[in-house]
Amino acid sequence: MSLVGYLLLAAALFCIGIYGLLTRRNAIGILLSVELMANAVNINLVAFAAAHGDHLGQVFALFSTAITVAEVAVGLALVILVFRSRRSVLVDELGELKG
Amino acid sequence: MSEVLLAQLALGVPLGAAGLLAAVPMLRRSGKPAAAVSVLAATASLACAVMLLLGRLDGGDAVVSSARWIPVAGSTLVDVGVQIDGISVSMALIVTLVAWAVQVFSVGYMADEEDAAFGRYFTYHSLFIFSMLTLVFAPNMLQFFGGWELVGLTSYLLIGFYYQKPSAARAAVKAFWITKAADMGLLLGLILLYVFSGGFAWTAEITAEQATLVTALFFLGVMGKSAQFPLHIWLPNAMEGPTPVSALLHAATMVAAGVYLVVRCDPLFEAAEATRTAMMYVGGFTALFAACIAVVQTDIKRVLAYSTCSQLGYMICALGAGSLLGGYFHLTTHAFFKALLFLAAGSVIHAVHSNELKDMGGLAKKMKVTTAVFVVGALALSGFPLLSGFFSKELILEALFESGHWVPYGFLMAAAFLTAFYMGRVVLLAFFGEPSEKAAGAHEAGPSMLVPLVLLAVPALGLGFLAANFAAICGEAYSFHLTPTGVAASVLAVLGLVLSYLVYGSKTIGEHAFSALRPVAQLIRSGAIDRFAASVYSRNALALGAFVAWVDRYVVDGLVNASAALGLNAGRKLRAVQTGNVRDYVFVLVLGTAVLSAWSLLS
Repeated sequence: MSLVGYLLLAAALFCIGIYGLLTRRNAIGILLSVELMANAVNINLVAFAAAHGDHLGQVFALFSTAITVAEVAVGLALVILVFRSRRSVLVDELGELKG
Repeated sequence: MSEVLLAQLALGVPLGAAGLLAAVPMLRRSGKPAAAVSVLAATASLACAVMLLLGRLDGGDAVVSSARWIPVAGSTLVDVGVQIDGISVSMALIVTLVAWAVQVFSVGYMADEEDAAFGRYFTYHSLFIFSMLTLVFAPNMLQFFGGWELVGLTSYLLIGFYYQKPSAARAAVKAFWITKAADMGLLLGLILLYVFSGGFAWTAEITAEQATLVTALFFLGVMGKSAQFPLHIWLPNAMEGPTPVSALLHAATMVAAGVYLVVRCDPLFEAAEATRTAMMYVGGFTALFAACIAVVQTDIKRVLAYSTCSQLGYMICALGAGSLLGGYFHLTTHAFFKALLFLAAGSVIHAVHSNELKDMGGLAKKMKVTTAVFVVGALALSGFPLLSGFFSKELILEALFESGHWVPYGFLMAAAFLTAFYMGRVVLLAFFGEPSEKAAGAHEAGPSMLVPLVLLAVPALGLGFLAANFAAICGEAYSFHLTPTGVAASVLAVLGLVLSYLVYGSKTIGEHAFSALRPVAQLIRSGAIDRFAASVYSRNALALGAFVAWVDRYVVDGLVNASAALGLNAGRKLRAVQTGNVRDYVFVLVLGTAVLSAWSLLS
């Protein structure tokens, strides 16, 4: 498969992620969408690394994955705490910061 | 010990005492121990001053020791240190001797005060000695100005010593701001001097026109500090302070600081013909005017206060006429006999518990020592032949005679007559005649009050005979010779004393002989002159204050309030952007990224 195929896959994943981010009401859904976008970036990194024969891109992809894991951990912890106090994880109902 | 070290000790020990008393409340509030600290410091200071003077009996060159102070680009603005020469050393001795006598006197005089107030009183006194010596030893005018303001502060603190009394608090504020307003002149003069000569040296070299301008501004400060008409109105009110304070600050030393300034700046004033002429007229008029007021006062301290104004007028007049020695020697003799008079008056007030002359009378039998020293002081002040005041006054009058300015000369001659008259009046009313009710139980004061009195009576009696030595210390020439002016002044003084005896002693001339003068006396006694002067000052000051308040409220505060209102309104408008909905934020984020991407692709 050529580089373009990978890039198209990554772009598709990224767009799905954005769509989910904008349309999901559930906080867990939003977190999942963010994961999709992050993984689209990782695919790009690996694809370009393979195309250039340079392993640095793969190293970065590993880094990125590790950081994403940490991010998800924090995000899920927040969601759990929100759910405990409000019995709901729908972001539409979290409007306390309205100015 | 070197001279510099002695001078630094004379300065430093009272400062240390004041600092110790200020920093350790336990010691300050303990009363007697606090007084002991202060008196010991004053004694040390006096000892240093005596040693300094003994080393300079033949004059000699000035010794300056100073350290750099206030660095400005590449050099220093001014030095701080001590300048030791005949004039500073003799003035230091006057200050420390009178201060010492006053402190010892105060131990007895203030004994009825509470311990805390007693300690506070002596703390101020120690601070005063330091401040006054800072001024006296100043090697340049900026340090002098610092000392000048410090003595103004101690004057304020000591006038307002009985701060629970509204009149004392008011008097303190009045003294402070009248002298402070006058000090603006001195400050402006200093700034101009720096502009003209690039420094604050005592002997700045500037042209005659510049010197006239600078000295005229200096003279404004001198008029405030040395209570010259029309800025004299604070001095009589300053009598609200304890009597020893009046003796030290408001008779002997602090009010003489103005005269001392002119003595120090002699080269500048030498060049300023117009300023010196003004000084002669202002000083001469003050001498006569204040003497007139002193005649009708009923409060013994106020008589002495107006007498101080009058005598300061003599000094200013003499310096205006170019007689440095006359002005400075009169400052010296006056410091001793006026401090003596005030302390003796304090002894009387202590005995009868009243300032009013009508509450005294017949005290001569009960208070022999006080009476004797008061009479000595009064005769010296009157210029009675062979007492100290005679020699200094004779020098002044002779200088005026030679200057050819007949108007101030006439003022001073008339004032000489009145001086003898009002002092005779005070002596006869307070110490002779029928004792009043309050005076019946009076008795002589204790040794702590009598020793300083007797000690001060010695120079009041005999300092005149040391005039030649005094002149040598100051680097001037003096030889006594009896002049027609001196004889005339003595005759006037004796006439004044005789007239006072005829009116108040033997009652040969009844007071009704002066009935034509009664409205004038009423006017003076009512304080209308003071009130008029005060109203002129306060009206202008209030107008200025109102203007400044307006600028502050609408310009300064306006800017601050406008910026605050701007922020507040902007915040109120912009808060609508914060919807609190996370998807709105995400949308803006995505939109922003899209716009930025599109922009970077297209350009």
